Amino acid sequence: MLYRLRHVTAYAYRNPVSFARCVLRLAPAEGQGQTPLSHEVVVEPAPRAAAERTDFFGNRTVSLTVETPHRDFRIDAQSRVRVERPPLPDSGTGLAWEEVRARVLTYPGLGADAPLHFAGPSRRVPLLPEVTDYARASFPPGGGAYAGAYDLMRRVHADFAFDAAATEVGTPLAEAFAGRRGVCQDFSHIVIAALRGLGLPAAYVSGYLRTLPPPGQPRLEGADASHAWVAVWCGEGWIGLDPTNGIGVQNDHITVARGRDYADVAPVAGIIAGSGAQSLSVGVDVVPEDEPA
Amino acid sequence: MSEALAPAEVAEAAHHDGPAERLARWTAGYAPLPGLPDELVSGDGALRPAWDRFLRRLAGLPDGEIAARLAAAGRHIQDTGIAYRAYGEATERDWPLGALPLLIEGAEWQAIAAGVAQRAELLEAVLTDLYGEGALARDGLLPAAAAAVDPEFLRPLVGVAPPGGRHLHFYAADLGRGPDGAWRVLADRTQAPSGAGHALENRLVMARALPEVYGALDVERLAPFFQAFRDGLAAAATREEPRIGLMTSGPYSDTYVEQAVLSRYLGLALVEGDDLLVRDGRVSIRTVAGLKRVDVLWRRIDGDFVDPLELNPASRLGAPGLVEALRAGAVAMGNMPGTGLVESAWLAASLPALCWRLLGEPLRLPGLPTWWCGDPARRAAVLEQFDYLAFRPAAAPAQGAFTSRAFGEGRDAAETARLRAVLRDRPGDLVAHEPVRLSTAPVWDGTRLVPRPFVLRVFAAATPEGWQVMPGGFCRISESPDVRPVAMGVGVRAADVWVLSPGSTAAQGSLLPASDRVTVRRVPGLLPSRAADNLFWLGRHLERTEAVIRLTACLLDGAGSVSMAEEDRATSARIRALLHAWGAVPSATGPAAQLALHALSDGTQWGSGLSHALSARRNAAALRERLSGETWRALNALRAVLEAPAESPDSEAALLDRAERALSLTAALAGLAQENMNRAGGFAFVDMGRRVERAINTCRFALDFGAAGASTDDLGVLLELVDSRISYGARYILGVALAPVRDMVLLDPFNPRSVAFQVERLAERLAGLPPLRQDGVAEAPARLVAGLSGVIAGAEAGSLPLEAVAEWEMRLWEIAEAIGARYFPGGSDAARPETLATLA
Repeated sequence: MLYRLRHVTAYAYRNPVSFARCVLRLAPAEGQGQTPLSHEVVVEPAPRAAAERTDFFGNRTVSLTVETPHRDFRIDAQSRVRVERPPLPDSGTGLAWEEVRARVLTYPGLGADAPLHFAGPSRRVPLLPEVTDYARASFPPGGGAYAGAYDLMRRVHADFAFDAAATEVGTPLAEAFAGRRGVCQDFSHIVIAALRGLGLPAAYVSGYLRTLPPPGQPRLEGADASHAWVAVWCGEGWIGLDPTNGIGVQNDHITVARGRDYADVAPVAGIIAGSGAQSLSVGVDVVPEDEPA
Repeated sequence: MSEALAPAEVAEAAHHDGPAERLARWTAGYAPLPGLPDELVSGDGALRPAWDRFLRRLAGLPDGEIAARLAAAGRHIQDTGIAYRAYGEATERDWPLGALPLLIEGAEWQAIAAGVAQRAELLEAVLTDLYGEGALARDGLLPAAAAAVDPEFLRPLVGVAPPGGRHLHFYAADLGRGPDGAWRVLADRTQAPSGAGHALENRLVMARALPEVYGALDVERLAPFFQAFRDGLAAAATREEPRIGLMTSGPYSDTYVEQAVLSRYLGLALVEGDDLLVRDGRVSIRTVAGLKRVDVLWRRIDGDFVDPLELNPASRLGAPGLVEALRAGAVAMGNMPGTGLVESAWLAASLPALCWRLLGEPLRLPGLPTWWCGDPARRAAVLEQFDYLAFRPAAAPAQGAFTSRAFGEGRDAAETARLRAVLRDRPGDLVAHEPVRLSTAPVWDGTRLVPRPFVLRVFAAATPEGWQVMPGGFCRISESPDVRPVAMGVGVRAADVWVLSPGSTAAQGSLLPASDRVTVRRVPGLLPSRAADNLFWLGRHLERTEAVIRLTACLLDGAGSVSMAEEDRATSARIRALLHAWGAVPSATGPAAQLALHALSDGTQWGSGLSHALSARRNAAALRERLSGETWRALNALRAVLEAPAESPDSEAALLDRAERALSLTAALAGLAQENMNRAGGFAFVDMGRRVERAINTCRFALDFGAAGASTDDLGVLLELVDSRISYGARYILGVALAPVRDMVLLDPFNPRSVAFQVERLAERLAGLPPLRQDGVAEAPARLVAGLSGVIAGAEAGSLPLEAVAEWEMRLWEIAEAIGARYFPGGSDAARPETLATLA
């Protein structure tokens, strides 16, 4: 599948902002069935300095500094990417979850590809006894790691309500878990915390969903904004699971960045020098290229 | 213990016995705790030689003298504010020094120093690998699974070559003796070790308290260590004369005073994150003279907090872009962010093998026997000894010697269940270790010596000549005999640590104590904008304190010769109204004494003398490295005078006495600033704060008490308020009249209390400050001052309309604003950094 992506982030400030320094993670990832074809970012006002890098987890970043006083700040990212993933494995296959956990403890190496980085608490994902206990029902002794993770993902989809008004970007995991509602970020953080509580590595993935469903299929939640889901390590490789929609990750999902939680992959993170209120609007278009837009 | 005398007998004996008897009495009945090594006596029960020499010298002093000396040392600490405080606590607690020094023989010390230096070198090598190649994890020499989930593993620093070539510049180890009597490491401190400044202060205090003992024992000096440490920091820079900053955790952190002490001693610029700007590949300090490049930062905040952009976004202590600057080599940082990683307990079990691998030698100073519970080969053994062992988080310091306790020392059923659940689900999150029992050192309890548990912190600095270890340290001794580390949380005393030179005293030639002061340094042209802000407000608050007190004194004494006994007299009513308008009293009516007590000492009145004095003290607390000990003492005395409980609340005489004592202290503070403050280091800002506030207050006084129909009483009060009664009397024989009083109060350029005089001083101070540009165009504050100065010079007392004075007052407010906007960090457009965020 070939996609054309556009992600526009616009901030409006009540008082002029004299200085902004931010890090963008907006470029589609390469690998795991994805081939980026083009990527372009336009920032207004024009930055004084900009530098591209790859972060620890292999995500492409752009660091930029804006020193022109401004009330409006706009980041317009446009990309084209091809997505062709292999079919999902049969959930009856794979290693027992206890075996996966044991492999984590003796895993050699701290490279970016090591599942170890995703096996413990992180800034936005504390490990809470109640969340770990919630996970246990999906992991009977000797059960498959992938089967357990898939079941957990389905349960979260069933037990939690999608509610864009219930949480915001800074809502703690414990609150979203107690309220049994939230958005893709909360769904993903909860599944991640549940898996890690049992010692299983789980990563947070940011990206997009195709905006218009194929004919005859329902429109998916999160399609008009950036989206997030989970990648779980099942002893040999990573498998993507989307708890917001209760499905495995295939060719409708476009990956941008992967990290331990939202804090590692925020599309726009930054510091501004300014006082007063700010408002934000985000627009995302995901258009399959072989269909009329 | 049976030989010990009853207190009454001891007191009696203390008057009569000589040195030998004293020594015998102090040590009689000294009984180390069973099974635990002790500093005073070795395993065979004999006095260790260092203590023998020390006590023989000390016994030359009678008990009463020793008590007096130690009490004086305690007072010194109180006076100079060697204090610490917990985060969020507004007031400081005094640092509880009071114990005897801890003594260590030179030969024994050499082994400790070699072991500490080796550990520092080893941990540097481990960090180089963890943030670099990663071979140790790959080869299974350390538990990768534990390192990967450690919050101190700061991934943005992976692959960053540390500017200056090293991660660690400053390292500390907490030591105690193991059951076999050998020293061992209870904890490694690689994050941002604290306590070296306390060691320095403790030394100055103890050397002063016991000079004859200190001088006779040939104690190793500390100054060369600090000099070497500073040289090591400077060596990390690429410029010839590098500028070094101490990146402080701020006035609200518990080690701020220590940081201020060290910055002053080492000649480092004390900077907060807001003082720093990263731009165009360089790091600068925002100063009153513009941006000044900084080459090296000694970090005293946690690594995760140095950069809100790439590390912890919640940090308000760091500066955005610092990690990028480190990556580019634009600034060196000691220690690098991420060094806290090797403090963690999960590393402890691997250190002996790592030492062989990385240094090719055995580990000299062992740690506690520790097992990482994630190791499948060890788990069975750990579970077998579950009830005996102590557990603690793998990603936390090996032994949080004072604040945290291990799980499982006296654990209850619920804690046991939690521990077992973690061992089942996430065993890698725990380490097990043998329960720790601290060894003991002697403490003098007033009449004799008693053993108390202690922990010794030893410091090492990376220098161009390799790791150097401070010959001394920071010792904390518990006031309770409980030897479990958990008991060290409360009632801890600090003690100096004396390392005795290996040679005899004669070998070094001199018995005179060498100076422990480092060569004086100057940090010219480096006044951070934030410090200037605090200095300015220190001056303003002190001046307002004085004005409120003078006004209160006028209320109380009826302005000298004029009687104002009746409450409804117009002059008294005006004083009351002004005190009320200034927020010093809750209401303008009531008995004078009652109002005066509010105005002087009511901390709940935002405008009282006490409130302004406390505000001044807060400004001063954030400026500790710039103020003399005398200034701090005077501020404390001012607070004490104003805060003292009223003996007889209705006594006007007692309150007047309080006001007068407070005024003599504000005068002393003004004199100290005038005489003792470095002209390059911020005197201008204290003085401008004072001048602008005094000019504003004086305008207000003239408006209230110098109106066209002012009575003799009014004018008398006005002269009293501006402290010009005597000068006036000397000049005008015929008594008070409006025009001459106004002239003296507002226009007389020779009266140091007049508005004209303040404005002239403002002009002088501004002219002496560095300009931002070299184009010769006057900056806004100077322009405004020049304008006002011209107006005042052209005014004439007899014809001056009161509205003009009101306008001057307005213009003075504008000048204060303009000074803030030009020189201070927020200025009028108060730009605090905020975080951007987007919602998925």
